[in-house]
Formats: sequence, structure tokens, C-alpha cells
Amino acid sequence: MKIKLILKVLVCILFLSSNLNAQNLKVILKGRVIDEGTKQPIPMASLFAGTPPKAITFTDENGHFSAAAVVGTTVTFRYLGYQPYKLKITGAQENLVIKLKELDNSMDEVVIRGYVARSKEVTTGSSFSVKGSEVQDVPVANVEQLLQGKVPGLNIQNNTGAPGFRGTVQLRGLATLAVSNSGTETFLQPTSPLYVIDGIPIDADKASEMGFNLQGPGISPLSLIPQEDIENIEVLKDAQATALYGSRAAYGVIIITTKRGHSQIPRIRYTSNFFVSTPPALRQTLGGNEERALKLQQIYGNAVSFQDIIRISQTPILSDSLNSYYNNSTNWQSIFYRTTYNQTHNLAIDGGDEKFNYKSNVGYFLSNGILKNTGFSRYTLNMNAELRPNDRFRFTAFLSGGVGKQQKGDGLGFLQYGVADNAQASSLLPGPSFYQSSGGVVSALQTLNSNATRNIRTSIDGEYMFLPGVKLASTFSYNYSSDIEDTFTPAAANQQFSQVYGFNGRSSALYNRNMINYNATFNKKHSIYVSIANDINDQRGQSSSIRQARTPNDQFQGPLGFDASNSAGGGVLGYNRGRLASFWGAASYDFMRKYVIDLSYRIDGTSSSGLNNLYSKNPSIGLRWNFNKENWMSAFDWLNTGSLRVSWGKNITPTASLTSIYGKYNIGGNYNNQQSIGVDFGSIPNPDLIPKTREMYNFGLDLSMFNGKVDLNVDAYYSDIRNELYNRNLSNTTGFGNLPSNETGMVNYGYELYFAVRPLSNASKFKLNLSFNAAWNNNILTRLPVGYNGQNILFADNGQNTILRVGRNTLSNYLLVNQGVYSVNKDVPVDPVTGLRYQTNGKFYQAGDPRIKDVNGDYIMDKNDYQITGNSQPLLTGGMSASLSYKSLGINIYASYTAKRTILNNALASRLSIMNDPFGSDPLKGSKAVVALPDIDMWRAPGDVAKYPYAYDYTRYATIQPFRYDQTLWEEDGTYLKINNVTVFYSFPKKISQRLGVSNIRVQASVSNVITFSPYSGPNPENVTALGRDLSAGYPNSRDYIFGFNLDF
Amino acid sequence: MHMKMKLIHKCISAVLLLICIVLPSGCKKYLDIKPLDQLTGNNFFKSKEDVEASMTSIYLKFFQKISETWVIGAVGESRSGEAFAVINSNSYSTRKVVEVLGQNNMNSAINDQPWHDTYHFEQITNWTAYYQVIQSANILISKLNEGIPNLSEADKNRYIGEAVFMRCFTYFWMVRLYGDVVYYTKAYQSEPLPRENMVSVMNKCIADMKQYKDNLPWTYNDPSRRGVRANRGSALALIMHMNMWNAGFDAGHTTAYYEDAVKSGQELLTQNGNAFRLLPIENWAEVIKGRSEESLFEFYQSVNYGDNTSPLAPFADTFLHYPYKFPASAYQTSLMAFKSIYMTKLFPVDEADKRKDVWYADIYSNDGHFMMPKFAGNIYASGNQDKNPDNSYLIFRLADAILLQAEALAELGRDAEAIPLLNQVRARAGAVPYNAVQGGLKDFIFLERRRELQGEGHTWFDLVRTKRILSQQWASHPLTVEQFNRGAWTWPIDKNSLNDNPGMTLNQYWVSGAGI
Repeated sequence: MKIKLILKVLVCILFLSSNLNAQNLKVILKGRVIDEGTKQPIPMASLFAGTPPKAITFTDENGHFSAAAVVGTTVTFRYLGYQPYKLKITGAQENLVIKLKELDNSMDEVVIRGYVARSKEVTTGSSFSVKGSEVQDVPVANVEQLLQGKVPGLNIQNNTGAPGFRGTVQLRGLATLAVSNSGTETFLQPTSPLYVIDGIPIDADKASEMGFNLQGPGISPLSLIPQEDIENIEVLKDAQATALYGSRAAYGVIIITTKRGHSQIPRIRYTSNFFVSTPPALRQTLGGNEERALKLQQIYGNAVSFQDIIRISQTPILSDSLNSYYNNSTNWQSIFYRTTYNQTHNLAIDGGDEKFNYKSNVGYFLSNGILKNTGFSRYTLNMNAELRPNDRFRFTAFLSGGVGKQQKGDGLGFLQYGVADNAQASSLLPGPSFYQSSGGVVSALQTLNSNATRNIRTSIDGEYMFLPGVKLASTFSYNYSSDIEDTFTPAAANQQFSQVYGFNGRSSALYNRNMINYNATFNKKHSIYVSIANDINDQRGQSSSIRQARTPNDQFQGPLGFDASNSAGGGVLGYNRGRLASFWGAASYDFMRKYVIDLSYRIDGTSSSGLNNLYSKNPSIGLRWNFNKENWMSAFDWLNTGSLRVSWGKNITPTASLTSIYGKYNIGGNYNNQQSIGVDFGSIPNPDLIPKTREMYNFGLDLSMFNGKVDLNVDAYYSDIRNELYNRNLSNTTGFGNLPSNETGMVNYGYELYFAVRPLSNASKFKLNLSFNAAWNNNILTRLPVGYNGQNILFADNGQNTILRVGRNTLSNYLLVNQGVYSVNKDVPVDPVTGLRYQTNGKFYQAGDPRIKDVNGDYIMDKNDYQITGNSQPLLTGGMSASLSYKSLGINIYASYTAKRTILNNALASRLSIMNDPFGSDPLKGSKAVVALPDIDMWRAPGDVAKYPYAYDYTRYATIQPFRYDQTLWEEDGTYLKINNVTVFYSFPKKISQRLGVSNIRVQASVSNVITFSPYSGPNPENVTALGRDLSAGYPNSRDYIFGFNLDF
Repeated sequence: MHMKMKLIHKCISAVLLLICIVLPSGCKKYLDIKPLDQLTGNNFFKSKEDVEASMTSIYLKFFQKISETWVIGAVGESRSGEAFAVINSNSYSTRKVVEVLGQNNMNSAINDQPWHDTYHFEQITNWTAYYQVIQSANILISKLNEGIPNLSEADKNRYIGEAVFMRCFTYFWMVRLYGDVVYYTKAYQSEPLPRENMVSVMNKCIADMKQYKDNLPWTYNDPSRRGVRANRGSALALIMHMNMWNAGFDAGHTTAYYEDAVKSGQELLTQNGNAFRLLPIENWAEVIKGRSEESLFEFYQSVNYGDNTSPLAPFADTFLHYPYKFPASAYQTSLMAFKSIYMTKLFPVDEADKRKDVWYADIYSNDGHFMMPKFAGNIYASGNQDKNPDNSYLIFRLADAILLQAEALAELGRDAEAIPLLNQVRARAGAVPYNAVQGGLKDFIFLERRRELQGEGHTWFDLVRTKRILSQQWASHPLTVEQFNRGAWTWPIDKNSLNDNPGMTLNQYWVSGAGI
């Protein structure tokens, strides 16, 4: 007992004395705070001590700290976005290395602004990050596809399934009025965000530079980045964030950072995916005898003259049912569509430490298209190495090479007319064979097309701190691409003349950026950051093409002979050269990381904007208040971080070209034996053109709550686009076609929401992450040139006109209003003056005909009865995800949705119109395969109340045009919810994998494009053009079943 | 610390200074790229060659416009009904258009089958290309006034003169086709304007042309430019024509117009320094080939230069047959002919006139044997080549100006001055001189113009401006006064002209129907 007592006392004394000692004994702590993952130093991390904890010091820009602390107390290292690290002080320490672990909290990342990495806590712009790990589940040719539904405000519609092609990308709404082509093929000029890949701005729209609908040779550089190599993707949304990227960033900026080496022990990771791509459900058709029976029934039931009955006997495909030639049941669609087996392989090696690290990534991707004779393959090799011999010097080198190959068949890629037309051939015909082959079939299946891009990107990046806090950074990059397209069309597909087409293009971009950054903190309260920089960009490109028709033989594809009268091309097709020089400055100040102000100003000079108006100026300002740092907020301990952001900025984009400013002169014919060079009368030059301005206000609220379990970001924006280039049509008395003018404008405003929850406790073996995002964007046309009187109708060949009307959503449809179907003849209105029934094209409406609104009340349906209706742009877009894991088994589900959008169901229009001609123009080939219509709510007999007009009365197609494209009958709600992919993965236990000589094995199985829920009655509400026209000639999206695995060595 | 800060500040300001001073000036140079694959405004109009090429394009543009279909024939020679399609000739049904034109039924001539697909006369209703000529001329003038490097003052003035001539000539041409037209002289006119009264347009053009006519030489030392490029003779002939036109439509001021025409005519005929002369009728092929001393203004073409106008374009495409047109199987007869009653009126059977033999074959035949070898010089086709003779498109020539001068003098009652001029033209043709005692001088001059200028695109306009179109005596298919006043003499205007031009109106006669 005594002993015990003595011991207790001793302990007490010891404890007291140590306390006493501690109160007296202050020791010096020196060391460094680094990120556990990246091993990068963490500047401005705070050290807290005492009760209540008080900040005693901050780390400097290299993560170094030096502080005095009392032995026995605890010092807490804190840095926003990292788990706090507690250190019990036992004595003085000189070389502490504190590794902070990142919190799983979207709020607290390091983000890139104006090519400089900064803590998100002190940035004022609106941006959103997607981790590389979120884009690994499904192998894709273009990683952009996987961003669909992941970033609030980034509206991605994967509207083509053609392998290697891009869908449409819009950030924060419509940003252009430029519409090309018309009718079904109305396309919107792409307004793609600027991509910055490893610090180098890249032109992602390269492949569409030939025109908007005509996919030119070449492959988007985005399709040449393997998804396995992506570390992080950051999307900059508001003008404050994008202003530093200048005029090219008017449609937002997407920054892609590839992986770096950060492992002391070299790591090798092998990833492989095998996937099966399947075509979507094909159109239901009637085969063989059923087709013939239906057509005969249609003729007997609706013929208006005996001639039609006689014509049956003149149409062997209908009458000669005993002839084996006409006695088939060929499913033509199956000839074009197929299920394909594909694979990807990727090998990544990385290693190194802070002083030197390296990475290399070798990838192979193969995707055969679900349309025969199409596909995409890619080989890539990416490397980088970083040297950091001391704290003052850093040097990085990147090298990336890629070969992408596309086969487009005989189509343009996302348009496949040959297939679309021929897949509808009559099923009574025998399948394709040599003597019967229709040109279209041979053309679709036998045209040899190879569209290849070889791309090399190199860059070096150096950084030197020549004074404390002052860094000089310089980047050089060179990007070279060679684009080749070769097409050989066999004789049978081209009116018995084979043809060779060759395109050869090259382009390069030289880029240099120099920056001086200054970073300092005064009195541990005031931090400033100043950056001055310039960059220059020199781009050039040249292309040429040849076309030789009538080569002697299908086997002989070259060298080519010469036949001047039937061959074309051979000269330089395109030549472009552009230069860009920019200067910018950015300054940022924060007080205690609580109040932040960001200012930036960038001047861009572009060679295309003419010397009178050389520079465009992009200013921005942003404010941020991290209100959780206020003392009065300490009561709300459930709130981890909270901040309010306000920003304003302008992106000025020169839209002029040398042609639009100075005019253009064309080499013309000879007159009196002299060369003429005359004015080009396409556009009148407009020297007063001013650049397009996109001015954006952004208000943001970021909250992170309950220890990072709940994240909420809300953004509201107002974006005013002014001086949009618009080619105003001119009176023909000016001789010119149009005047490029600045007299248009539009406004986008909207809200974005991101919400993420991790509901389960950290202790739970289950991990569940749920996230949801939504973006509501309203678009309003605010201005048109005066002469248009507030409205301009873009008339289309098929009547599906687009209208621009000030005060409304910019791109509306201008159509005839369908009000149903006349049930009985009595329903047709009668003109009380003439006593005649409502009519069109000289024919009176009757039961079974569409009830089209007589807008002007003249009892004649004609072009004066069009009305404005619908909105081709979606109002609401977004996505959601859920991932659940238990130990090493997990499931990820991603979904995306689009709502409030008008789609024109041209697929149904063409499907119903197939009935228009049961005979077919060519009696031997017959008409198209007929489609069963039992599922269609169609008028069949007087008294029926139906949605769709009577399809079988083929005699009325020419005049009444019951299925005319230009009516609201085809307008449908394009809302959809798509389960993009479902992935199940499992990592084998270490024991098993190590027994196999591998450190880690992960297997996964996915399905992509799982299911789409939609009220839309057409094939796929996503497979439509940017203007909402369902294109039956489009390339459908496939569904993929994927099995993949990772091996880490 | 303080020292360091200062140093930093110094460094930053030095760098800023460097960026501010050195870069922007170099920058401008760096950003100034002249594209190689196209001529933009900033790399064109840099030399005399550019001006020359631009001027060439203006002539070419006009020439292409009037050779896109059977323009001269349709606008100038067939609307009064003297020509007919030869029955059973090659593609007879198509050629019947000449009779539809002859009834002044323009809507049918433009729109109806079977001729529409061949002739496309709707092209004539579209005036865009004429305005392109005007814009081109205006742009060239403004660029010349801004200054072209290394272009002499004399050259500059001459080019301005040529461009002004082409501008005024185009307005003149359009006024005769469409009546009131939109008038402007500003380069890069982009705002829409309403149509302006044609008399006012002509008056502005007369003033414009008078101001610049002396910029032009009487003729060119380079024979390839003679008659082809605008000269002072072209300008004066144009002034005369514009005055004569206005004299027909501006009733209050006829005398002033005739006097002005006479004044210009005198300058043209007496002060030209022997630049122009009437060639002997035997040398007619030289005149019709072009670049002759008789030519005041013409659109030249030559197969030797590879020029290849539409086979429909020449007036005489349909008024010739084998052996002037090939292949013989297709052209055994002319496709069109003038009525013998009309030809008899022009060239009475028993009056000597070399033109009857040199310019016509089977002049009174009233069928497909009728031919106009006037336009058949310089044949190069043979065998199965379906090509027209290689001739130029005469616009103004000396004989035309002489007769116009005679007409103006006669209108002023100065017959004594008019008759020698009239007889100068008749003498060249080997015809009996006109004698004052015959009387009817004005009518005689009108007929002389028909004889001399048939096929050269003057007939209809002479009928219109002298109002002879109202009389059966002068036109097989006359117009009523009511029709005339409602603009039946004009061409319809393409309705696209209404687009983007709120002040525009079409020619109402053709929109609201032909009336009575």
C-alpha cells in the first residue's frame, strides 16, 4: 500500500514538476509542412497552440516554419482542406517533416489560375474540379464525353456515337447566333471552351474548322489524351476565372492536368479494358410478304383511279410474288449495324521524389464503330519529368505523341446518309451481292477511308526564384499535327468510276509564356500576390487535297494517272497563319485569408483583328469572404468552411477577320486578255467591327459542413454577350450579300447547384458518396440589327425554320401549329364567304388530315400560317452520381439529365412518310421497307380521335403533306434522364495479389449508356443536333459492356 | 528587408518598363500578318497592276452580266414585235420566246416553259450585278483618291475617269431597263436606299460624267485598248445618250437636253483629233471584230484569248445559219428572222444601199433564209463545232453618235446641220443622200438609226424615248399610252430586291398585271 502511495505521490510530483518544467521550458520547432500525397510544400499552413488554440505562426512559401512551443503541449498544424495534424511537443526539433493528409472535401483544393497554382480558399472565381479517378470507369475515345453531367453548367450532349467524334459542349448557355445549313441539318457554330492541357492552350475544335457540319480531316487533340493519364480536370466558369486566359476563353476554360510521378518506389500500373459495343434497338420493319401485303392493301384501300390498280401489275416487286428475285425478306439494317469487340491497354510508369520525378504513359485504344466500316483507334505516348534540385529552381519537360485513326466509311462521321438511305431499302430485294448491289450499299461498306492525325506536343517549363518571393517562370511549347485523309471509292459505288481522294494537312503552334510572380505575407496577416506575364502564340497550317476520278481499276489505287477533265484539286486548299500576343497582370490581396480581392487585366493582340483595333482588353475583379473564419462563426462548429464570392469580368473576343475588316479581292477571269481581280461581294467590309464582349457577373456560395460530410456550392450568374458578329443581309442594290455587324446581343442568366453528401460515419466500413448537380440557364435574345425589326427568320429547305426574336429565347422554331387530326369531314372549317372547306395547295382538308391552325384566318393553309414555338436549347441540365463501397468492393453510378427542351422528332416524321409511295420510283427496286404502325396513335377511320394523320392514303402526300416536317406535330419534350454508366469494382486483398507478384489487382465491370428515361417518342433524345433536330441520318450511340482490370506492380 | 523590398520594386518596375516600351512596337509588327492565300484589303491596291486588275474586273463584270443570256436581243431588239421564230427550225418551241417578247409579255417570256430553261430571262430582272459594277467603281475611285503607291497622277486621273464612266454607263443601262433605280456614288454603300426618279439619276450622271470626261484620253496608243477601254468619245456618247433619254421623259426641259447633247456631239465629232472615223463598209468585219477606229465603246472578246461567252449571248445567235453557223445539219435555216414587211420598210426594195448586201442575206425572204451577216464576221467554227462567230459587243460607235447628233439637231430645228451628218452615214453605206425636200427628217433619222444600228441594242430604247412605241406606224406591237405611263416599257424587277430594303418598290405594271 505504502509503496503504492509513494508511487502515486511520485507520479504526482513528477507530473507537477514536468508541468512546472513545461511552463518554463519553451523549445524551438523547425521544419517543413508537406502534402502527404504530392510531397509538395504547403505554404501558409498555420500552427495552433494553447487553449483556446491560437495561431502562433504560418509556414512560408516553401512550407518551412519555425516556432517556439512549450514542451508537453500540443501543436496543431492546420491547413484548409487537410486533416489537422497534432504534434505533442517533447523537445526542440530541427528537421520536422509534417505530412498533412488531404481532406476529402471539394472546397479545399489547389486550383490553377492564370497558369499559377493557388489555394482555392483565396480564389474568387467560379470553377469546378473533376478528379482523374472520376473519368476512369468507361473507356472513351474523347474524355470530354465523360464530363457529361459532372460539372454544373457544362452542358455536354454526346449527340453522335461516331467513334472519336466530339459532341456539343456549351458552358453556361448559348453563346452564338451563328447557324449554318438548314432544315434537318441545321448546325450551331461550336463554342467550345478553351482547353489548357498541362499549361498549354490547345484548340479543340480543330477537326471542325472545315465547316460546322462537314467534319474535316483531323481529330480533336482531346481524343489523343488517354483518360488513364488524367490527374485532374478543372472547369473555369465565370469571367473572373477565365479573364486571365483572354479572348480565347470567352466560352470558358477547361484545364486538364496529366499525372506526375510521385512515388519513391517506381510504380507500374497496367490497365486494360475489353468492351462490347452494341447498336441500339433498330427500326421495326415488316419483312417479305408482309411488306408486299401491306403495300397492296394500302393501294387497294386508297387508290383514287384505276390507273393505280393497273400500276400494280407494272410493278414486278408488288405483283411478281412467285419470282424468287422479289421473294425475299432482307433485313437491310442488319447489313449496316453490328456488335463490335474492342479493347484498350494502358501502361503507366511513374516514380521519383521531390527532387526528381518522372512519368510515362503508353496507351492503345480501339473502338470499332457499330456501323460497319467505321471506327477509331489511338496510340499514345506521354512522358514528363520534373527536376527540382533545390527550393529555388524547378524544371519540367513534357513530351506527348499520339496517332489517332478514324474510319468514316462513306459518311461524314456523324452523318451517314448512305447508311440511312440504304437501310430503308425494300426487304423484298435479295441481299447485297455483286450484280444486285446498290451503289449505296457498296459505298457504305466498301469505301476505304482513313482519317489519321499524328500529333506531337512538347513543352518545357522552368521556374526560378531569384529573390525571396519572386519567381520567374517560363514555358515553351511546340505542337505539331499532321492530318491525312485518304478515301478510295470503288467503281461500283460511284457510277462505275472509281475515285481517289487524298487530303494532306499540317499545322503547328509555337507557344511561349513568361511570368514574374511575387508572393509575400506581411505581419502574418496581409498576403499579396502579384503576377505579370506575357505569352505569344504563333500558329500556322497548310493543307492540300487531290481528287482523281476514273482510276483504271478497283485494285489500282495509285500512283495516279492524269485525267484533267474529271479530276480536281491538287493545289493548296487551305492556308492559315495566326499570331497572338498577350500581356497580363494579376494581383491578389487577402487579409488573414478571410477577405480576398482579386484583380486582373489582360491585353490580347490578334493578327486577325486588323491593325486599327489590335488589342482587346479583358479586365476582372473578384471578392471573397471566408466567413467561417470570423470569430462569431466559432459557435457554428458544424460549419467547416463557408464563403461568399462575387466577381465581375469581361472576355473580349475579336470576331473580325482581315476579310471582314478590309474586304477581300478575288482573282477573276480575263477580260481583253488581262487578268481581273475584283471585289468579293460576299460581305461588305466593316472597318468599325468591334470585338464580341462577354461580360459576366457571378455570385457564389460555398459551404462545407459536418466535417466535410456535406458540400454545397451555389452559383448565380448573369452573362451579357454583346457585339456578337452577325452577318446582316443587305439589299441587293448594294451589290453585296451581307454586312458583318455587331448589332446583336443576348443574355444568359442562371443558377448552378452542386450538392454532395457522405452520409455514413468515417468509422463505417461502408463508404457512400452521393452528389447531385443542376444548372438552370435562361437565354434571351436582346438585340438584332435595326433593319430586322426585332426578328429574323432563318428559312429552311424543309420548312423547319429557326427564328430569332428579340425578347425570347434565342433559337426558337417557326412552324405550322398542328392541333390534331380531323376526325370527320364535318370538323374541317368552312369559309363562310366562299362556302369552301379549309384547303392547302388547292386541295381541301378531310377526315384523317392534320388539323393545322389557320393563323391568318383566310381558310388557306400556306406560308402565312407559321408561328413561333418551342426552344431548341435546354433550360435545365445536370447530373448525379452515387458510389458505394464496402472495403474493396464498390459500385459507381453516374447519371445525367437534360430537361425543358424542344426536339423535332424528324425520325418519326420520316418513319411515317415512308408510306408515301407504295410503288417506288424504280419498279424494280420498289419503295422503301415499310414500318409497322400499330403502336402509332393514328387516325384510321372516321370518328377516330388521334394524334397522327392517316399515313396510308398515299395519294394525299403530294398536296396535303400530312407528315410535313414544318409542323408542331414533331415538337416533343426532349427531357431525359440517362444512366451514363454503372460500374462494379473489386480490389483483391493484398495477400492474394502479392502471391501473384503484383501489389494490387483491381477488376471492374461496367455498362455505359445503360438506359435513357424520356417521354420522347423518337429513338434517342440526346442523338439530336445542337438545334434539337433529330437526325435520322445521325450516328447512333452504342451501349457498351466493359470488363477491365488494373494491375499495380 | 527594406533593401530587399526596394530591390524587388526596382526589378518589377524595370521589367514592366521593358514590357511597356519594347514589346508593343514590336508587337504590332509581329501581329501584322498578310495572308498568302487570299487578297484582303490590306494587301491589295498597292500598285498600278492592282488598279489595272481591278479596272479589268469592272469591265468584265458588266460584260458577264450582259452576256449571261440573250440580253441585247431581249432588251433592245425584240420587244416591239418585228422578229419571229422560224417555224420548224431547230428548237422552234424555245425560240418562240421572241414572239412573246414581241408582244411585250414579259412575265411569260421570263417564267414560262419551254423557253425558260434555255433563256432564263429572270436573270435580266436581277440587277445585283449592275450594282456590283457600281460598287466596284465607287470602291476603285475611293481607293484612287486615298492614294496608290507609285501611281502617276495622269494614270490616277485616267482610272478615275474610266471608273466614273463605268458607273454612269451602268446607271444609264439600268435606267433604260428598269426606269427608276437606286442611285449612290459612295464606296461600300451598305444602307438601303429607295429608288430615285430616273430623270434625276440621269442628270446626276450627266454632271458626274462631264466632270470627269476630260480625265480620259481620246484614244489609246495601245491598239488593244482602242474602243475597248473608256475614252473621251465613250464619255461624250454616253452624255449624248443620257440627254436624249431625259429629253423624252422630262417634257419641260427638252430643249436644254437637246442642246446639251449637241454640245457634246460637237465636241465628239470635231475635236477628237482624228481618233475616230467611219470605216468603209467593205471593212465591216474589222468593226464588228472590235478595237476599230469606229468604235466608241464596246465589250471585246476573242477566241484567241480563250473568251467563251454563252452561245446564247450574241444578238445574232439566232439570225444566222449555215455557212455562218455549224453544224450544217442543225442550222439549215436561221432560228429567228425579221418580218419582210419591216425589212421592206427599212430598206425599200428599189433603193440602193450596200448595207442590204453586206449586212443581210435574203433580206426580204420572211422565212428562215433571212440572215444578218452583219454579225457573221470572223467565223472560226467548222464541222460540228456549234460556236458563234467571234465578234465583239458594240455599245456605242461613231455612226450611232453621228445619227444621235443629227437627231438632236433636227429636234432643235437645225436641219441644215443635221442633214450632212445623216448623209455622212448614208454615204458610207453607198445609199442615196437624204434631200431636205423629202421632208420628214426626224422620221428619216429614226429609220436611218434602225438601218444602221439594227441588232446593236438600240431599237427598243429609241422607240421608248421618242414615244414612237405608242404608234402602230413604228412598232408592230405598240403600247397604249396607259400601258406606257404605267411602265410597260420597263423590265420587271426581281422581287428579291424587296428584301432588306423597306423603301423599295417593284415595277407595278409587271406586278399588278399587264392591264389593257
